[in-house]
This record gives sequence, C-alpha cells and structure tokens, in this order.
Amino acid sequence: MLAVVTLGPAIYLVVTSLTPLTPVNPDTLFDFSDPLGNYRAILTTDEFWRSVWVQIELSIVTVLTQVLVGLGLALLLDRPSRFLEALRTGFLVPMVLPPIVVAIIWKVIYTPDISPMHHLLAWLGMPIHSLITDAGTAIWAIAAADTWEWFPFTMLMLLAALQMVPKEPQEAARIDGANAMQLFWHVRLPYIRPTLVVAVLFRLIDSIKAFPLIYVLTDGGPGGATEVTNYYAFQQTFNYAYWGYGSAVATLMVAGVFMLSLAVNRMSGEAIDD
Amino acid sequence: MTRRRGLAEGFGVLILGIVLLPALWLLQMSFRHNDDIMSSHLHFVPTLENYTSLWTGQFPSSFLHSLLASAFSTAFSLLLGVPAAYALARWRFTGAQQIGLWILATRMAPPIAFTIPFFLAFTWAGLMDTVTGLALIYVTFNLALVIWSMRGFFTAVPRSLEEAAWIDGCGVWSGFLRIAVPLAMPGLAATGILCFILSWNDFFFALILTRTQAMTAPVAIVNFMQYAGWEWGKIAAAGVLVMLPVLVFTFFVRAYLVRGLMAGGVKE
Repeated sequence: MLAVVTLGPAIYLVVTSLTPLTPVNPDTLFDFSDPLGNYRAILTTDEFWRSVWVQIELSIVTVLTQVLVGLGLALLLDRPSRFLEALRTGFLVPMVLPPIVVAIIWKVIYTPDISPMHHLLAWLGMPIHSLITDAGTAIWAIAAADTWEWFPFTMLMLLAALQMVPKEPQEAARIDGANAMQLFWHVRLPYIRPTLVVAVLFRLIDSIKAFPLIYVLTDGGPGGATEVTNYYAFQQTFNYAYWGYGSAVATLMVAGVFMLSLAVNRMSGEAIDD
Repeated sequence: MTRRRGLAEGFGVLILGIVLLPALWLLQMSFRHNDDIMSSHLHFVPTLENYTSLWTGQFPSSFLHSLLASAFSTAFSLLLGVPAAYALARWRFTGAQQIGLWILATRMAPPIAFTIPFFLAFTWAGLMDTVTGLALIYVTFNLALVIWSMRGFFTAVPRSLEEAAWIDGCGVWSGFLRIAVPLAMPGLAATGILCFILSWNDFFFALILTRTQAMTAPVAIVNFMQYAGWEWGKIAAAGVLVMLPVLVFTFFVRAYLVRGLMAGGVKE
C-alpha cells in the first residue's frame, strides 16, 4: 500500500517523460514513437542548463550561509541556561511559518514604496534600487530570504548536537591551555561533524525544492535570473503545457535528489556507528 | 562565568528580536489603514478594517478549505499510520529497515515529481479542485511521518504492560487501543499537530491542484496580489491569519518539532 502510493506516481512520471504529452492533444498520451526525444531536447536547451546553474549557485550560497549562521548562533547559545532554552522556541518561528507567509514578508521588505528597509536606507541618505527586479541582485535577495527562513533548522540541529558533546574532553583541553578556537576545532567539531554533514545534506536537498519564495518574489525573473530547475519544470509543465518535457526534467531532478538521499542515508548511518 | 552567560543571554534576545522583526512588521501592517500603509512611521491609529474586509470576501471559504483539507489528511494519516507504526514497533517484519529509506524518499522527492502524475490522475478521476483530492495528496507525505514518529513512541511504551493485558484476556486490538495508544498519547498529539502544520503550510500542491472550488488560504493570498491591485493591508491581514494557527500549534509541540522535521535523517 505504501509502495503503491509512492512508486505509482514515480513510474507514471517516467512513462510520461517518454511521451511528447500535452493536454492540448490527447493522442500524445501513448505516443512512444520517440521515447528519448524529451531528454535529447533537454540536453540541448540553454534555459535548462541556465536553470541548473542558477540552482547550483542558489543552493551553495544558501546552504553555506545557513550552516555558518546556524553554527555561529548555536555556539553562542550553547550554555546551560533556562532562559536560553526558552529563547530557542522563538527561533522556531521562521521555519514553521507557512512558506507563503515568509514570501509575503520578504515581498514587503523588497518592494521599495512599502519597505521599511528601503525607507530606512533612504532616510539615511543611501537609497537603493529594488533588489528583486535587478538581474544581478535578485538571486542574492532570494538567498537572504531563504537563509532567514532556514538558518533556525541548522542552528537547532547543531545546538542539539553540541549539547551531546561530553564534558570531560573539553575540561581536559581547557586545563591543557587550549583557547576557545582550538577547543572548538579539535574537540567539539569532531563530535558534531556527523550532524553537520546531515544538516548540510538536508538543506541541500530542500534547497532544490525552493518554490514559494521564487514564485512570489521574482517569478523566476528578471530574465530567468532566479529560475531554478524546479521552477523551470513548473513553468514548462503548467504554464506552457509541455507535460512530457516537464516530466523529463522532473525525472532528472528525482534522480539527482535520490543520489543525494542515498548519501544522507549512508552518512547518518555512519553518524550512529561513530 | 555568570557574566559570560549574561552576555550570551543578552545577545540571544537581541538576535531573536532582529530575526522576528520582519514577521512583526507584517503584523503591524495588518492593523494599518490602507492610506497610510506605505509609511514606516510607527505611530498610527490601529484599525481592524483589513480583517473585516477579509471576512466579507472569499477569504473565509478558502480558510475553511485549508482547515478541512488539513484536518481530513491528519485524521486519515493517523488512522492508517498509527496501527501500522504499532505493528512495526512490536513485531519483526522483513523489509522493516526499508521503511527508513522510503520515508526519506517521500521527504526528499521534489513535489513537482508528484504533481504531474497526480494532476493527470486527478483530472481522470474527477478529483481536481476538490478538498478530498487535496487531502489525499497530503496523506501521501503525512503517512510516512506518522509511521516513523509513532514507531518511536510505541517502542518507548513497555511491552510488559500489553502482555499483562493479553494474559487478562485482552485481544491484540484492545491491548493496542486500551494500553498502547493511551500511553503514547502525548506523542500521538504531537504527531497529529505536525501533520496538520505540514498540510496547512502547503502552497505548491494547492496552487496546481485547486482552482476556485477548493482554493486554500495560501493560494487565496497570492490571488490578492495578482487581482486585487496590491491591497497590502488585506494581504498582511490574511498572512497573519494564516500564520496564527501554526504559531499556536508550534508552541504546544516545540519539543517534538525539530525531531519531526528531521524525520528520516537520523536513524533510531
């Protein structure tokens, strides 16, 4: 039953990806005359490769900032304090908010005539142009919003890991004269590394699914500057009705995500074995 | 030592304040009159007009659709998933290890991969633009979460209690219903709430698989942006209403939340 629910759509998706299916022409449903046509088309389409590149750029930037910000804050807040424990609940807010609300919040911030950020900068005498309508900055604007939404995830995961680090080696290192940096690098980091790896892979995979932020903030634009692969597949399928082509792009995405998932599975297994 | 702790606490509050600022800004916007919504001055006369104008429009019905789809999918996922989780926690099956990978797969697969087949199947089955169809989609990803999380909670319930009940003449089912379920109740509640939040937060599936009859609240907000000529006050008020249930629920399940969101990433 479980398998049917998950595998059924997967098989259907692959089958669809082998046809030139479009709802405009019902005959295309079982047209397998050129099964690899979609895949050939994908490989020679510049928009596809651009979307892959935008995806890689966005994923690397967001995962990096989320892990660095999350790690920094986790180290700061990792102290025995009831007050800090209570504070942690507050940090849950950005990641549990409905993604569409997150998108609205940032739409407000990035829309010059209503944005407190733009007003403040203008008041300080350094007005800036809209960040989301500029092809050069749009992707950074999305990355900033995405980091705001998801750094709590890496932070809370790493905080949990930091609290599992045994106290004795830390005490020993401190007595031996290790400074805070050495203590972190040689004692705490090795303990939290498995969690760090899992957090990175989780965020990496989720970053491939980014949708509401892009839909609301830039709609993939300007000029495709923020059109990640997921968004590209969505556009091709539901705006241009190239169902077969969209399915083929989605199939390639599933294959990519599946390989990343295997990595997560293996690494989290190692995390337990260690 | 205490001084450094005090410093960390001070920093913590400050950072949390900065982090929450964008969300609080939306909150204050929702209480502004439409004619001074563009200004960033903090002294203004609060008004409920944005909320009252939402109340008279289409928004309440889309809010209801969200509520129904989330509640149905949560109930159905629990109904199917809790007994399955119990069975997995108590008896050994071949392929029980594979469940971890399966859960990971549903958690990781890009939604677009599910949407295309579901769109075609829904059109064929007449489930397009229905709350039932939407709830069905949510079950597919909630079920994995329920099984994964409830198996953990059932494993924590001591087996000897049920064995005593069986000796006293309880069947397997009544042992499950009278002993295991009540003992795992806190976990059950947390799991249910998490399912509800995940369904409630969905935007992608609702955007594609509903039109007008079953439009959910997140999709309705986006429509305000496109058709209503950027009524920021209304958009802000709708956003606040949509995030409210999530924030209330989050407060109740905060301890389980991180665990639930990491489902599949950490092996038991």
